Amino acid sequence: MISQAFADVLAAGRNGFNHRVREAQRIFPAFRAEAFLRFLEEGVDGVAVAVEQVDRSRLPATVLAAYDVALELVGRSLVGPAARSQVLAEAWRGLFPRLARLITAHPTQVLGMLSNAITHIEGIAGARISQWTEEMTALAPHLETVEQLRIAGQVLAWRSGAAHFRAGAIAAAAALPEALALRAFGAGDWSSWQAFRNDVEHDPWWGDDDLHAMRERRVGSFSGFGGQFATPPEIRAAGEVFFVKSGDRYFLLIADAYGAVLQPAGADEFEHAIVVQPRFDYSLRDGMLRVGSRRIDLDVPEPGLAVCASAATIAIASPYTHAIRLLARGER
Amino acid sequence: MAFDFFRKISRAPTNPRATVRPREFDVADLYRGPVADSDEREPVDTQLDEKLRQAYFWIVNKAIISPHYDIEYNDGPAQTFTVGDSKRVLTLPSGQSYSSYVLLPLLTFATRRKCLFVGGPGRGKTASAILMGVLAGASVREVRRAMQHGHPQMTIADLLGNPLPADLINAKDMAEIRIAWRSWLSMRVKIVDEYNRIPTRTQSALLTVMGDNYAEVLNQVFECPESAWFLTANDEQGGGNYQVIEALRDRIDVIVQALAFNPRFLEELLVRIEEEVRPEELMPPELIFTAEEVDAMGRDIRAVEVPEGVRRRLEFFASQFELAEMAGGQFEYMTKDTARLSGIAWHELAAADNGRDRMKDLGCQTRNGLSVRNLMTLLLYAKALAYFRGNAEVELEDLRQVLPFALHDKLQPDPDAPFFALPENAPYRTDRVSWLRRLFDLANDEYLRLDLDRTDAVGELAKQFALGLDGVGERDTRARLARIEKLIGELVKGRKLYGHLYDDLLKLKYLHQRYTNYLAWLRAQ
Repeated sequence: MISQAFADVLAAGRNGFNHRVREAQRIFPAFRAEAFLRFLEEGVDGVAVAVEQVDRSRLPATVLAAYDVALELVGRSLVGPAARSQVLAEAWRGLFPRLARLITAHPTQVLGMLSNAITHIEGIAGARISQWTEEMTALAPHLETVEQLRIAGQVLAWRSGAAHFRAGAIAAAAALPEALALRAFGAGDWSSWQAFRNDVEHDPWWGDDDLHAMRERRVGSFSGFGGQFATPPEIRAAGEVFFVKSGDRYFLLIADAYGAVLQPAGADEFEHAIVVQPRFDYSLRDGMLRVGSRRIDLDVPEPGLAVCASAATIAIASPYTHAIRLLARGER
Repeated sequence: MAFDFFRKISRAPTNPRATVRPREFDVADLYRGPVADSDEREPVDTQLDEKLRQAYFWIVNKAIISPHYDIEYNDGPAQTFTVGDSKRVLTLPSGQSYSSYVLLPLLTFATRRKCLFVGGPGRGKTASAILMGVLAGASVREVRRAMQHGHPQMTIADLLGNPLPADLINAKDMAEIRIAWRSWLSMRVKIVDEYNRIPTRTQSALLTVMGDNYAEVLNQVFECPESAWFLTANDEQGGGNYQVIEALRDRIDVIVQALAFNPRFLEELLVRIEEEVRPEELMPPELIFTAEEVDAMGRDIRAVEVPEGVRRRLEFFASQFELAEMAGGQFEYMTKDTARLSGIAWHELAAADNGRDRMKDLGCQTRNGLSVRNLMTLLLYAKALAYFRGNAEVELEDLRQVLPFALHDKLQPDPDAPFFALPENAPYRTDRVSWLRRLFDLANDEYLRLDLDRTDAVGELAKQFALGLDGVGERDTRARLARIEKLIGELVKGRKLYGHLYDDLLKLKYLHQRYTNYLAWLRAQ
């Protein structure tokens, strides 16, 4: 059963809404009307109820926008029984109603943004979408504009494992009110955004007391077991990032305290990395990697290990697992 | 309305390549995804080649039903299947391939050249031409009104415009007669429907507009803007009411054929009927090109490089066709054009030609050679195709793919040639696109057999000459002359004369003459 207010809006625009469904059936071969009806009931209705409480006069426009977004999501099997995960559907039920004020004001934009963001983060291997939705839900009452929502989402995406968003998220956060910026970074104890930024900006492995920040990350693994690397990865450092070659494929590897992300790269970038790769002195002995006075326990056999380092990160690739272990170069 | 299938353009890159990904990550990517938000309607700064590809894919996916991917590219081995008693090959290309029926008109639009659509009635020739007009920013109504429909009673006044009646009566001088020019003359995309139904005299007036870009009536001249031309004909051989004059046919740069409709796509046709959809009326505004954008695109296309290796292949191919050994007494006049101008019957000339391997000699397959205009068209379209594919250099495959459309009615086959008598070559009598592509492939095979990429003595001498004569002394000049004479001696020793050898010898004669003149000048100092 859907709410009366939502039912009234659907009934008032019945022909138009039905026409949209027919159009969606034509565009998306995977579109299933039953899945759509169920999503209206379980996902969209909650948003409609929340919007009605904010401003009933905006309900028809919001329902129209939500209806179109729902058609697209069901048509693309991003929600419903054929969806890869139920995270997006759950966000419509849990997170979206918490943002009812923003949705009421800008329904198409906010519903599209949030749906896209969840789909995007879900597609990043290793990213923690549940962390993003939980933290966004907690932050929702403090967000007053769409722009604040946009920036907060970007910061949370980085902190949920999208390491390649780090620089952009820190830069964007400068536009947030100080208290909101610190809250988005999980740094509510800090009193100055600028002081916090100075610390976090210069160390990819900065984590303070953040439970989600680690001193070590792992990426890849043998493709036969669902990983990304068909052959043992070769790694080269280039500035703050790494380039990786596995078989005939090339990747850009970005890692920090919150995650490690692989992006497609070109052969020329990998080849160029040999030129700029910094010198890195280390030795392998007795199951340990020795870098200066530091000793790092190895969890894989020594033979065949590939080791290199950027200014902030040590990367260790094993031919036995095809995985790359990434560690903060400095000790805390 | 967020839901509009026909106006939707994919935001995904149309020609994705791993190496061109920006290394500066944009956090705004977080909000880009399958669902359109209001940001999607903001204009995005799209590169013109990407915009051209978006236009192509919009036409292929939304406007044209049943596209045929006959311009095939492969990124690796292609899957092929041999089909039927005739053993024809169905290829599943491993690279992004294109439909000539959409691509060639688009390249024509981008380069502002002239394209002829041919094919039976009701195959979408006019509709495709209208799409090109809309792409230039005109409304469908404007394009339709400006379209010239050929008919047997079409006069020059119908085509170009009428003198104002009052001026005809009152004018004391021709200069005082004002002309009401037809509005289509100022369009950036000009469409002439069924041009082979236009009377011959009116065709001549059309030729002036097409060739020289101006219209003239009663000594009054209208200068037309640079524009792309799209013409349609049910029969490319000119089988309308009037024979198309040769000069007009020669002005057409490419010919594309509207291939048959595949009934497997009938469902989409049904949707259009039921929904009353006319794709040309739904073209997304983001795909419209301004005149300045087409100008910029033209400049970018001309800047695409043709590497020496590709240029040499075209030179070698073009060399095959002009030679007619028995047509001239003097070396320079041994050409098919000499024979054509003399009016001699073709079969007499062919019968006189003996001694060469008429099966191996590609020149024996054609009745004519290539003109300068043909070669310029070929090079420009090859550049345009490379640009469309996002490349800064023309690849050999680009040239191979545009060649059949640029030479479609320019290189006339000789159906009596021994090549066409072979059973396996019988389809080439009717399928000119395949024949021309085969011809190019055969020329390339011969080029490789002769190892001309590595051993091109004539090319070396030409390069040496291209460095200039400043500082070249008398002794060096004499040495170069001797080298040319020696090379000619080697080339002609015991060999039959083929087209490429004929052109090499003429090039050597040219170099010899330039050095001879230079030597004379040196000695006069």
